[in-house]
Amino acid sequence: MKVIGYLGLALVVAMILVPVYFIVVTSLKTQPDIYSDPLTWIPNPLQPGNYSYVMETVNFGTYLRNSIIITVILTVVQVALGVMSAYAFAFLRFPFRNALFLVVVAALMVPNQITIISNYALVASLGWRNTFVGIIVPLAGVAFGAFLMRNHFLSLPKEIMEAARMDGTSFLRTLWRVVLPMSWPTVVAFTLITLVNEWNQYLWPFLIADTDVVTPLPVGLTRLQQNEGLTNWGPVMAGTVLTTVPILIVYLILQKRMIKGLTAGAVKG
Amino acid sequence: MISRRNLLGLAGAGLAATAIAGCTGGSTGGAAASSGGGQKGSGTIQWWSNHPGSSKEVEQKIIDAWNAENPNLPVQLVDGGANYEELGQKFNAALAGGDLPDVIVASDVTWFNFALNEATAPLDDLWKEAGVDASSYVDTLREDYAYDGKHYGVPFARSTTLMYWNQDILAKAGLAADKGPQSWAEFAEWAPKLVEANGGKPALMVPDGSNYLDWYFQGMIWTFGGSYSKEWTPNFTDPKSIEAGTFLAEQFKAGHIGIAKDANNTFGIGGSAGLLQSTGSLGGLTKAAQFPFITTYLPGPKPGACTGGAGLAIPNGISDERKLNATKFIDFVTNTKNTITFTQATGYMPVRKDAVDDPEEKAYLEKTPNAMTAIKQLAENTAPQDYARVFIPGGGARIGGGLDKITIGGQDVEQVFEQLQSETATVYKRDIEPLL
Repeated sequence: MKVIGYLGLALVVAMILVPVYFIVVTSLKTQPDIYSDPLTWIPNPLQPGNYSYVMETVNFGTYLRNSIIITVILTVVQVALGVMSAYAFAFLRFPFRNALFLVVVAALMVPNQITIISNYALVASLGWRNTFVGIIVPLAGVAFGAFLMRNHFLSLPKEIMEAARMDGTSFLRTLWRVVLPMSWPTVVAFTLITLVNEWNQYLWPFLIADTDVVTPLPVGLTRLQQNEGLTNWGPVMAGTVLTTVPILIVYLILQKRMIKGLTAGAVKG
Repeated sequence: MISRRNLLGLAGAGLAATAIAGCTGGSTGGAAASSGGGQKGSGTIQWWSNHPGSSKEVEQKIIDAWNAENPNLPVQLVDGGANYEELGQKFNAALAGGDLPDVIVASDVTWFNFALNEATAPLDDLWKEAGVDASSYVDTLREDYAYDGKHYGVPFARSTTLMYWNQDILAKAGLAADKGPQSWAEFAEWAPKLVEANGGKPALMVPDGSNYLDWYFQGMIWTFGGSYSKEWTPNFTDPKSIEAGTFLAEQFKAGHIGIAKDANNTFGIGGSAGLLQSTGSLGGLTKAAQFPFITTYLPGPKPGACTGGAGLAIPNGISDERKLNATKFIDFVTNTKNTITFTQATGYMPVRKDAVDDPEEKAYLEKTPNAMTAIKQLAENTAPQDYARVFIPGGGARIGGGLDKITIGGQDVEQVFEQLQSETATVYKRDIEPLL
């Protein structure tokens, strides 16, 4: 049985790692080498020039800066909104609470693509095209966080909340001192999902960004591909690797916290 | 517990943000097309381009020249997307949301729908007002943008289909290294030799359906006597059209024709003897290929190739003043000098008649006979495209998908073509007929 388990493990790892390996390797290959038949597993000759080509042909630094600005702001706003509205939905009693929550969940069900045209109309009429505001604001409100965090908050043991109230902890202080410390793994997971999601946004920034001033990486890098021409995939893959690295680093850092958080808020017996 | 009320407020704010993202009211939409005098501009001409044939640098060079001459009316180059479809998408969003550009790149497939829905402006009066001599454009290229007696575009990055042949492999197969097959039947005879000479690799690479196989196949279907449509009537089920489809499917099955997403690269590294591609690929291939190659006409009988590529159009919703300025700028981009600069950098065809008489261009064409092939073929071997592909919404993608099915998918040609026939007829009835 154990052997089968390990085989399954190896298979899954291979399924994930082989494509990643090929992206990295292709980014170091020359054009004929990429298309050689049979395919080569090791670049020969090595072509680190692909990376400098990316840096030279497109405004990589500007795209990276834009991506960071957009992703960081969006993540902070989405997580803050998500946590706070979820806290209210979970612990505040107010009229039409469930009905309102249903509305929020309903917003989750509406696919992004449907609202794009009306969002575009609004943003354009506000004069927000080709600005960070125009890219960020319509993406900032997402029901997913409220939904995920509320359900988590409801699963927290009531006794702790009651104890906090007995000690006279205020409502907001309860959030910071009691609820959140017990919720770090979920918050971190939510943050990670948001980060990756926003980092990879394509359609909306593409519609709103007209020039390099606000273009994020995924949109900017399409410039390496060419229509009716000849696409050299080496630099395209180099761009892909460069785009992946920052988010990978963030992931590794946050992942540690996620595991720490699993044990941090436990009830001491 | 004072904070409860505050929290309610916060929750409200959160909901409001959700509402903005979730479902903004349509009240602001749709104003662009109908607004009376048209949108005023910001004093800059916005040119939305997808830089066909990787031409961003050349475009910018031409713009710089314009800006030097017209410091009061500068042009801004806007990245409109990775391909013609993305640019169309972005323009559609602008049509709904306002804030229109001054000049857009419109491809053979997208211009007609924009014109039909009055999203782009007829140019004839503007030409008169701006003093543009439209007769100086190559006639067939200009007439590609005619609808109902008016013109809705100016030829810009115009191409035809071309065949590229690896001369080393032609020689190895014992064939003349300076000409392509004269007919598709001759190609079928050549193919086994070419496959053998190149170690079993396909004799001809063609891009797949999502990369405009429908465009490349169009010339082939004509040589069999078939077509996608006759004017507005779909013609897929004509026995001759089906014969052409069957030929394509059989050649693919036999390994004579290879179909790939990125056919250029396969050919460029010697993965096939020949390539069926746009003239726009010439620039890139000349740089990348490590072997000598020639370009030839597509096999006859004539016409065996179609024109394609993109033109420039002007949105209808902008003010008359902006339209006039845009007309002048388009005239500048496509003037004799600039069309020469642009086409030499990309491989597209010069769009002005007198460009080929320019001494500098003459010298260039003598030096690079591969670029000459397209220009000569334009006069001898091309015809305008079938309505079913370029005028009926989604036509190109629909036919491309069908061709993928009969080749890569191995499905029955007759069935697929019948389906194309009925789908095309349905879309025509729904989207076109009421507007004509």
